[in-house]
Amino acid sequence: MQDRHSSHLSSKAKNLNLILLLFFCVFVLRLWNLQIIKGEYFLDRSENNRRRKIYIPPPRGLIHDRNGAVLVKNRPSFYVELVKEDAENIHGTIQLLSELTGRSVDELKKRLKSSGKVKTGSQGIPIILDADFEELIKVKANQYRLRGIRIGALPVRYYLNEDLAAHILGYIREINAAQLLSPKFAGYRRSDLVGQYGVEAKLEDYLQGKRGEKGIIVNAKGSWVREEYYKQEKPGHKLFLTIDLKTQIAAEKALANRTGVVIALDPNTGGILALVSKPSFSPNLFARELSESQWNNLILSPEKPLTNRGVQGIYPPGSLFKVITAVAGLEEGIISNAEKINCPGYYSIGKSRRFKCHKEGGHGLVNMTEAIEKSCNVYFYTLGQRLGIDRIHRYASMFGFGEETGFDLMKEARGLVPSREWKKKAYSKPEDKRWYPGETPSVSIGQGALSVTPLQMVKAIAAFANGGFLVKPKIVNSIETSLGVKLKDETSVALESLPINQSSINEVVNGMYNVVNSEAGTGRRARIHPKYGYLVGKTGTAQKKSLNLEKKGERLAWFTGFAPKDNPQIVALALVESGEGGGFDSAPIVKEVVEAFLGRFDSPHDLVEKD
Amino acid sequence: MGIDRRLLASFDWILLFNILAIISLGLVILYSAGYNPDSNGILVFGYNLPIKSAAFAKQLTYLALGFFIFLFTLFIPPSFLQKIAYPLFIISFLALIFVLTLGLLSHGSKRWFDLGFIHVQPSEFAKFSLILALAKSLSSKSYKIGGYKLRNLFFPFILIFLPAALILKQPDLGTALSVIVIGCSMILFFGINLRSLILIFILSCFVVPSSWYWLLKPYQKRRVMALINPEADPLGSGYHIIQSKIAVGSGGLFGKGFLNGTQAQLEFLPERSTDFVFSVLAEEWGFAGCILVLLLYFSLMNRLLRVAYQTKDNFSCLLVVGITAMVFFHVVINVGMVLGLFPVVGLPLPLFSYGGSSLLLTTFSMGIVMGISMRRFSYFSGTY
Repeated sequence: MQDRHSSHLSSKAKNLNLILLLFFCVFVLRLWNLQIIKGEYFLDRSENNRRRKIYIPPPRGLIHDRNGAVLVKNRPSFYVELVKEDAENIHGTIQLLSELTGRSVDELKKRLKSSGKVKTGSQGIPIILDADFEELIKVKANQYRLRGIRIGALPVRYYLNEDLAAHILGYIREINAAQLLSPKFAGYRRSDLVGQYGVEAKLEDYLQGKRGEKGIIVNAKGSWVREEYYKQEKPGHKLFLTIDLKTQIAAEKALANRTGVVIALDPNTGGILALVSKPSFSPNLFARELSESQWNNLILSPEKPLTNRGVQGIYPPGSLFKVITAVAGLEEGIISNAEKINCPGYYSIGKSRRFKCHKEGGHGLVNMTEAIEKSCNVYFYTLGQRLGIDRIHRYASMFGFGEETGFDLMKEARGLVPSREWKKKAYSKPEDKRWYPGETPSVSIGQGALSVTPLQMVKAIAAFANGGFLVKPKIVNSIETSLGVKLKDETSVALESLPINQSSINEVVNGMYNVVNSEAGTGRRARIHPKYGYLVGKTGTAQKKSLNLEKKGERLAWFTGFAPKDNPQIVALALVESGEGGGFDSAPIVKEVVEAFLGRFDSPHDLVEKD
Repeated sequence: MGIDRRLLASFDWILLFNILAIISLGLVILYSAGYNPDSNGILVFGYNLPIKSAAFAKQLTYLALGFFIFLFTLFIPPSFLQKIAYPLFIISFLALIFVLTLGLLSHGSKRWFDLGFIHVQPSEFAKFSLILALAKSLSSKSYKIGGYKLRNLFFPFILIFLPAALILKQPDLGTALSVIVIGCSMILFFGINLRSLILIFILSCFVVPSSWYWLLKPYQKRRVMALINPEADPLGSGYHIIQSKIAVGSGGLFGKGFLNGTQAQLEFLPERSTDFVFSVLAEEWGFAGCILVLLLYFSLMNRLLRVAYQTKDNFSCLLVVGITAMVFFHVVINVGMVLGLFPVVGLPLPLFSYGGSSLLLTTFSMGIVMGISMRRFSYFSGTY
């Protein structure tokens, strides 16, 4: 079949090349745009698609006592996680898991939901944190029925003795929003665990270590394809504290469940040997997941378990303060040890005001040694009146009252040493701004507006023990790398010498010797076994006036002392907030603590785990 | 049937090499697209060949089949094709009806027959039979100055819309559209009255927006919307476009290298051996590789148009133009989709994408064109 118009139709075919050319050009331009102009951008995006960084938390540094006994370490915590990608039937799996572990379905699903819309791929979502051994066995045994369920382990901070020395050791918790913004925490990431309290917080830089990093390649499902690089994590440094575990244990035991404070300190270095503040808390609570109600219990409790009463609690020192008044009197030359003052059982200023001695009928004529031994109030009322408030203030300040001790583990309370100056500043009404002579006697026996922290008291008493030197309380002995290389040695100390004559100190210490070791001494119960030498000390019983938790008839029971008298190695203090009296409640505590310390090498280290 | 020496002498070797070049490059890309490093190789007659790409191996077998079909079609004279045009159209039409009831349900649509060893897509063959029937129908009309009016073209339009409607029912929007576009472009090429053209244009202004409401399924609408703003749903309807653009763009000037495309090898790129095989090319061979392949397609179609130009009768000319249009639209729609210029419709890249139906149809069509080309110096009803 011939066609007349064939040439007409086929000649049009050539024109179609123009259309080809047009599309060819469009595609070339588009390719140029995508591959050349935006090439870098898309290359970045393709790299982002396949590269994932995994951070490996470093093992946190261990914390030891002064002898190397481990106080805080890391334990493996097992968790059960769900890999959504691998699970055939998520609900059924959870149901079975619930039957096996006895945990409710809702509890198991809680974390599943909160993980949100993250494209998890082969990454698991932990659904049981810190699973116990029994749960693990059940899960393992039924693994074939639990598709998509995996068991994993991660290090969790572990405080070996639960709440022992909790206020010193502190705790770690997830980094908070404010910390993430602060320059101190530069380089930290969300959900990192950081020290939030105590040594854990103060020495965070040493303990943290350096996290490792793994670069991995994933495919579109998010499954691990291969490892690209691995930067090894570096464990945190080892800390050796000044704490002596045996002494600390003795202190915890002696105070038992009573609200109060026990502090023991090395008067030659300022190293804290033991510090107990009750009520306490277990830092292990924070290592796991702390529920909101648990957290609220801790921070809202009127007992304030998170407060370190040793450095943050302020109390009237009561009769303990008499040793300061005594030294002031001797140093100022307004009294000598020999001078006797009559105690008729009261002391009066003017006509109307009478200050009572605790002994009805009075102590009669007493010299300083006797006055300290019997804690005669009238003697010190008289002495205080002779000194005047400003001289009392000067000596109290000299011994460190009214200011921070320099123990920079946490924020310290300053307490208050009243003076004319202070009254002028603190009050607004003109009649209140005046210092009245009637106020001085109270202060001279450690009452009135005077308030101190237990640590200030220990620091002052340490000056009596070491012959007139002010120590700076400290908690860290040395720091080593995880491999044992010494980084920082804080065993050497700088002591601040007080402008006090040794003889004045000796006079007061003689009185303190009698407090414990004479027949009628108020602190007889603190007497230690003769093989350790003599303990000298002072009792104190004060009205609970500066505390909110006032109950009628309950008193602050103080005792502080040091031993052995001739070569003091330990200063100890005990404060029971609701006691009968210092000699009754607190003196035995100090005895226990001091004996534990001085006898620490008597028996082998049975309580001690070394690493 | 013998082959005349004159026929051999006028065999279009350049066109053949052009086709072979595209096929070979396609195999290289397919090897990469289907590459599985953990594969144990493929067992062939007891020999374990270290071929770690199933798509590549299967495509090779389709190619072997395609080669015989190609050789066979060289012997088919245009006059025979003209004779069987309408019967073939009816057969393919019936096949389209059957596939709607007996077809294999896959991804929510019925497009394939399962013949055991091979899945056949009747819509691909419907495409060819439409071109054939249209060529016959149009070429039988006598020449009209000023082009043909609509009423002259009623039958050709029926030929187009019958298979298109059935394919749309599967549903396979991409193929249905390509059937319409191929058919209409043949009519356009044949010559249409200007007034009729304007009428069609106005008509389509009503049909296209209303089809958005009546015809398009929600997933198809999402794909169109995804083109406008793919980042609105990066893990859903926008995923294909985004990942394809990332693959293409990240290829840069010279690409990441054979088997080194991260988008392809780590499976970020979906449908990488079928509809998005061009993305693999762009990622691993870069701008340079893309230009080379586009140039090969350009010269292929140029060569096809040259055959059309040399034909001596309208049937052959329309047939070749129709086949060229088919290849052209497939390339344009596929590459346009890969480059994020067109919405995602499942159209393969001819001679490149993995898939038997598309490959066999294309080699078959190329055989037809080369047969016509061979006979360009002989009379239509002449010596063979």
